[in-house]
Amino acid sequence: MMKRLGGLCIAMLLGLAAPALAQTWQVDAAHSTLTFTNTYQNVEYTGQFRRFDADIAYDPDDLAHAKFDVSVDITSLDTRNSERDHTALGVEFFDAAKFPKAHFVTTAFRKGANGKVVADGVLTLRGVSKPVELTVDFAPRGDTATLDVTAPLKRLDFGIGGGQWADPSMIGNGVTVRGHLLLRKASR
Amino acid sequence: MPLRSTERDWGALVRAFHWLIAVLIVAQGVIGLSMVQMGLTPAKVRVFALHKSIGMTILALVLLRIAWRLTERRPADPPGMPRWQRRAAHALHLALYVLILAIPLSGWWFNSTANAPLVWFGWFDIPGLTGGYDPVWKPRALLLHQTLFWILVALLVGHVGAALWHHFRERDDVLRRMTVGARKQNGEIR
Repeated sequence: MMKRLGGLCIAMLLGLAAPALAQTWQVDAAHSTLTFTNTYQNVEYTGQFRRFDADIAYDPDDLAHAKFDVSVDITSLDTRNSERDHTALGVEFFDAAKFPKAHFVTTAFRKGANGKVVADGVLTLRGVSKPVELTVDFAPRGDTATLDVTAPLKRLDFGIGGGQWADPSMIGNGVTVRGHLLLRKASR
Repeated sequence: MPLRSTERDWGALVRAFHWLIAVLIVAQGVIGLSMVQMGLTPAKVRVFALHKSIGMTILALVLLRIAWRLTERRPADPPGMPRWQRRAAHALHLALYVLILAIPLSGWWFNSTANAPLVWFGWFDIPGLTGGYDPVWKPRALLLHQTLFWILVALLVGHVGAALWHHFRERDDVLRRMTVGARKQNGEIR
């Protein structure tokens, strides 16, 4: 009991000491998904990365201190087609043996033209770092919140399936990545 | 050559179906056996797509052929043909119909369980037969597709052998009526 009170005091002190930190959230992995859509032979399909870690600090009223830091386990790729997954992890595509993780970190948040929040960030994928824009949709609900982000990417920007596989009628160049995260308030 | 079959001869439509499907089946066998040996390149993906498109074409042609056959009677068996041969011939023909329906269907099924695209000659998307990816049924569907193919190969040896035997040994019109047409009978005007 005393220990718990002590912990609470420390937490409160830390909270007071760092008022500038935006609300931090814990990701409920069981109810969160990281998916993408792309085309194969001009037919749309959806895949997902089953394992990813996300550090989320976000308060819609304090965008200056918001930050997303996401690490994706590339080997957790699943497109519901075992041949395609096996191929995609190979040297010509994600090259998961050499680059098992992708990393995304935000650099700034701003209001977009349509009033939506846009997060600028850098995605490092297959050893290539490129700026990426996320559209952010944040819906708080008491101690939880849902965070939906969307980002259009070009696979060839990151060297995924270059050379003989570059043909977009075989594999589309455009990839839309979608994150759907269920967040729970983390104690500060 | 009349469109419909007669008592002595196959009609033009049946012959067209027979030879068109025959050519496609031979091409399909060659493509199918070669494509699985290819290394993974975009060319392999295109050859697989071609195999699937031809397979769906065969399925559609076979369905049309069966529908047409249901509207007409087949020519009579050659006179003097023993009963066991008639029975064997008709059973073989029925088995061939079943196989040329079942082989494309099993390929379509396999493709569906593999969650692979099926776009008919790059033209339109054909939906899957199952609810998407199914790792349990996928290997079974493939085994079925391959097994039925080899049964077809065996039956085709019998089918072609029997046609040649009729033509060169029995010297009857069985092969002729599926190709150039049955010989004229004495005094017959066609």
